[in-house]
Amino acid sequence: MNQIVNGIPISYILGLAGILFSIGVLGVLIRRNIVIIFMSVELILNSVNLVFVTFSKALSHISGETIVFFVMAIAAAEAAVGLALVIAIFRHKKSTNVDELQSMRW
Amino acid sequence: MDEIIYMNLESSPSFLLFIFFGTIIVITALSVIFQKNPVVSAVSLVFTFFALAGIYGIMGALFIATMQVLVYAGAIMVLIVFVLMLLSQRTETLSRYREYPIRLVLLSVFVFGFFFLLYSALTTGVPHSDQMGKGYALTEYSYPIQGTGTVNVKGNVATVGASTYLDYILPFEMISILLLVAVLGAVILAKKRLTEVEQTKDTVL
Repeated sequence: MNQIVNGIPISYILGLAGILFSIGVLGVLIRRNIVIIFMSVELILNSVNLVFVTFSKALSHISGETIVFFVMAIAAAEAAVGLALVIAIFRHKKSTNVDELQSMRW
Repeated sequence: MDEIIYMNLESSPSFLLFIFFGTIIVITALSVIFQKNPVVSAVSLVFTFFALAGIYGIMGALFIATMQVLVYAGAIMVLIVFVLMLLSQRTETLSRYREYPIRLVLLSVFVFGFFFLLYSALTTGVPHSDQMGKGYALTEYSYPIQGTGTVNVKGNVATVGASTYLDYILPFEMISILLLVAVLGAVILAKKRLTEVEQTKDTVL
C-alpha cells in the first residue's frame, strides 16, 4: 500500500476524514433543527467518500472511486426522501424541531 | 517510511493545497453545526463541498471532483435550500452585507481566491498522479471482455466509467431502480391528500 498519495501522507487525509465524521456526528447529536441534522448526515457521507477515494489511490485500484459514485446516488435518494418527510412533518406539526415530534412516544 | 513522509512535507504544492482545503473543510463544517441560522449553515455546507472537491482534485480523482460539484454542491444543496425557503420564516441575514462594504469586499476576495485555488488544485492533480496502478497509469488499460476481445480506456474518467459499466453493472442498474423508487416515494410523501385540501387550505402555509 502506498503511504503517500500525490505528496500527501494518507494518515493526514484519514485524520481529516475522521474529524469530518466527528463533526457530523456532533451535529446530529446537538442540533434540534431537522434540516441541519440532514446536513450533518451529508457531512458523514462525505467523510466516507473521502476515505474511499484515499484508499482507492493508496491501493491503486479504481473500485473505490466507483463506489463513491454509488454513495453519491444513495445520498441523493436519501436527501429526496428525507426532505419530503421534513415537508410532510412540517405540514402536520408546524415545526422542524425534533424535540416536538413526540407522536411515537409511549 | 517516515523519512520519505517528512521529506515530502516540504515545498510540495499539492500538500500546501491539502492544508488549505483541510482547514477550510474543518472551519466550514464547524460553522454548519454551530450557526443559529439554517441558511448560513447551508452556505457553509456549500463551501465544505467545494473544498472536498478540491481535495479530490489534488488526489487526481477528477471524475469524483466533478461529481462532487455537480451532485452535492449542485443538486442536493438546491434541494436543501429550497426546503429551507419553504419552511423557514426567519429573515435572510446575508442581505446585511450590503450595509458593510468592507465586509463585502473581503468576502468577495475570499471567494475569488478560494475558487482560484480550487482551479489550481484541479490542474496540479493531473501531472502529480504518478502511480502506475490500475486506472492511474498514463498508458492505456485493457479490460478483458469475453467474446468481444478487450476494451482500451485511458485517463481517470474513462477508467471510472469502464469500471462502472463492466465490473459494477448490476449495482448500477439497482441504483437506477432505487432512485426511481425514491423519487416516487418523495412525491407521494410530499403531496397533499386530496380529501384534506378543503379542510387545511386556510391554515397550512
